[in-house]
Amino acid sequence: MPKNNAPLIQTVKLCKSYFNDELETPVLFDMDLTINEGEFVSIMGPSGSGKSTLMHILGFLDGPTSGKFLFKGEQTMQMNDDELARIRATRVSFVFQAFNLLPRTTVLDNVMLPLLYHPSIPASERRDRSLNAIESVGLTDRADFFTNQLSGGQQQRVAIARSLVTDPDIIFADEPTGNLDSTSGNQVMEVLQKMHTDDNRTIILVTHEHETAMHAERIIHLTDGRIDSDTTNFKRARASKAKSLNK
Amino acid sequence: MLLSDTIQTAYKAIIVHRMRSLLTMLGIIIGVGSVILMVSVGRTFENYILDQVETFSNNLIEVYPTGFEKFGRTTDSLTFEDAEAIANLTTVENVAPVIFIREKVQYGTEELSPLIFGSTSVFLGNYGLKLDKGRLIDESDEKSARSVAVIGSEAANTLFGNRDPIGERIRIGSRFYTVVGVLQSLGSALLQDMDTVVTVPFSTARAITGKHQLDYMSMTSKGDDDLALADIQSTLRQRHGIDNPEEDPDKDDFIARSSAQATEIIGQVTLGLTIFLGLIAGISLLVGGIGIMNIMLVAVTERTREIGLRKALGARRKDILLQFLIEAVTLTLIGGVIGIIGGVGFGLLITAVADKLLGSVSFSLSLSALLLSFAMAMTIGLVFGLYPAKKAANLRPIEAIRWDR
Ligand SMILES: Nc1ncnc2c1ncn2[C@@H]1O[C@H](COP(=O)(O)OP(=O)(O)OP(=O)(O)O)[C@@H](O)[C@H]1O
Ligand SMILES: [Mg+2]
Repeated sequence: MPKNNAPLIQTVKLCKSYFNDELETPVLFDMDLTINEGEFVSIMGPSGSGKSTLMHILGFLDGPTSGKFLFKGEQTMQMNDDELARIRATRVSFVFQAFNLLPRTTVLDNVMLPLLYHPSIPASERRDRSLNAIESVGLTDRADFFTNQLSGGQQQRVAIARSLVTDPDIIFADEPTGNLDSTSGNQVMEVLQKMHTDDNRTIILVTHEHETAMHAERIIHLTDGRIDSDTTNFKRARASKAKSLNK
Repeated sequence: MLLSDTIQTAYKAIIVHRMRSLLTMLGIIIGVGSVILMVSVGRTFENYILDQVETFSNNLIEVYPTGFEKFGRTTDSLTFEDAEAIANLTTVENVAPVIFIREKVQYGTEELSPLIFGSTSVFLGNYGLKLDKGRLIDESDEKSARSVAVIGSEAANTLFGNRDPIGERIRIGSRFYTVVGVLQSLGSALLQDMDTVVTVPFSTARAITGKHQLDYMSMTSKGDDDLALADIQSTLRQRHGIDNPEEDPDKDDFIARSSAQATEIIGQVTLGLTIFLGLIAGISLLVGGIGIMNIMLVAVTERTREIGLRKALGARRKDILLQFLIEAVTLTLIGGVIGIIGGVGFGLLITAVADKLLGSVSFSLSLSALLLSFAMAMTIGLVFGLYPAKKAANLRPIEAIRWDR
């Protein structure tokens, strides 16, 4: 059972190695990291430093090699396929740099896809929820388009709508603007920012761009699979504090 | 995930990947259809040919001269005296010597080139030919070498139309013959149309052709074909001065064969045909199967990524497997059913054409070929549809999404 005061995400001495034909490639080393509900965290670092690897583990797309990964206080290492699937369906969602939408399928069907696997949202609500999510990324007029008929920025917004539709606790976004020009990149960031400030959703973002990282209240730097620095972005943190005080 | 959602997901996937779905089904259609077509057509003709042979009386034995091909002798190795000697054997009866007349038959402006048999009164009975009208050739026709003829029902039709042939005079070569009898229709036997035969007395044929030697002789055994054949062979070898205790057919100047043997040989030939066609069909099933495999294996990368994405969005292993099971079953079922319909349809078409040309051909569906090919296609479709899906579903989502092989 989740402990009441447990952080959303906690890792203890988390390590990750890749194995190819007996060859071990260690990527993450003894990572201790805590992320609380409602945080907006940016992860930065040089290419190959292990940002994506960390995101995939925290987003339940991959497993650690050793150490602990607790989700709301619950150990995740012993979970079976059904339990993992349930968390993926209800608690976390992922926005990929490469969009990863179903080809030859409409925007609406793509956004609806996670709801098919959601254990408790009734089928009758799927359409309205999906249309709401599509509306929140500003693509209502494209709902019946096939995804290959959209621009890159629009496709990434579809992916964000898909990540929103199940109302998850956390959204992971791995370089969501990496493939986009600055205008579409800004649109995508606006949507993510809105999801954080309006819905107080936890967002973990990987980015190379300083400007993009500055959307977050906390910035973590990785180098060679270790946390290099973990700092508060006071500008944002104050703004968000002021906002929550106003409420 | 609800079952109805899984079914819908599977059908959407089939439609989204319609080209791949069509090619998969095509492989199954070709495999199943060709096996059913080939084996059924083979069986149909096997049955037809066996039917042809079995039309003859069971105990029929025929003796042919073969001297021509061997030792520079001519085919004139069987004589009337040989026939008389064989007629004296206790193991055979109804010995009918035959001389062919190779002439046209004319009546008025109508003309026919039938088989004209000059033979004795027992000849027709050996082949199960029965009288419809008039009378058969009798002893007195034979004795006086009369110019009379008994003709088959189809010959009568062609020459006389609706007229009554009895008592009419037909021309064979330069001589006229009176038609004394018309035979009942028998259809075709041994691939020969038995209804166009024309028979005249043996003595008449001998007189006209001037031949002393026989073209062949037919008879029936008194029950035991093997005994009768042994008797005939030893009699003829003795009369022709052939020393052949090892029964080497190359040393004989004749061949004696029972219809049972012929049935057996022809049965073997047609069985060989069926096996051959089955083999070709098996190869097409293999080719179809390899086609299915290829398409499914080529699709593995794309589908592994799709499975990874679905798992990342919350799909359980069983959701994935059920979706792929439904996809594979649907494609193989539809393909299999179309293949069956196509194979049977083409088989019926070929049979119908053959029936028009040959008569009395009826389609014989090979149920075992149908079931076997269907099961094979189903297995290939399921194995190559499900196995990669199962492997992909066991991967962690990110491994499947990043699959690149
Ligand atoms: N499947 C794998 N097998 C072996 N090594 C891997 C595998 N995936 C990643 N790596 C290695 O792990 C290290 C970290 O990779 P990761 O993708 O986490 O880096 P990153 O910080 O996201 O880089 P980038 O900014 O370029 O996306 C790299 O050195 C990479 O070569
Ligand atoms: Mg990365």
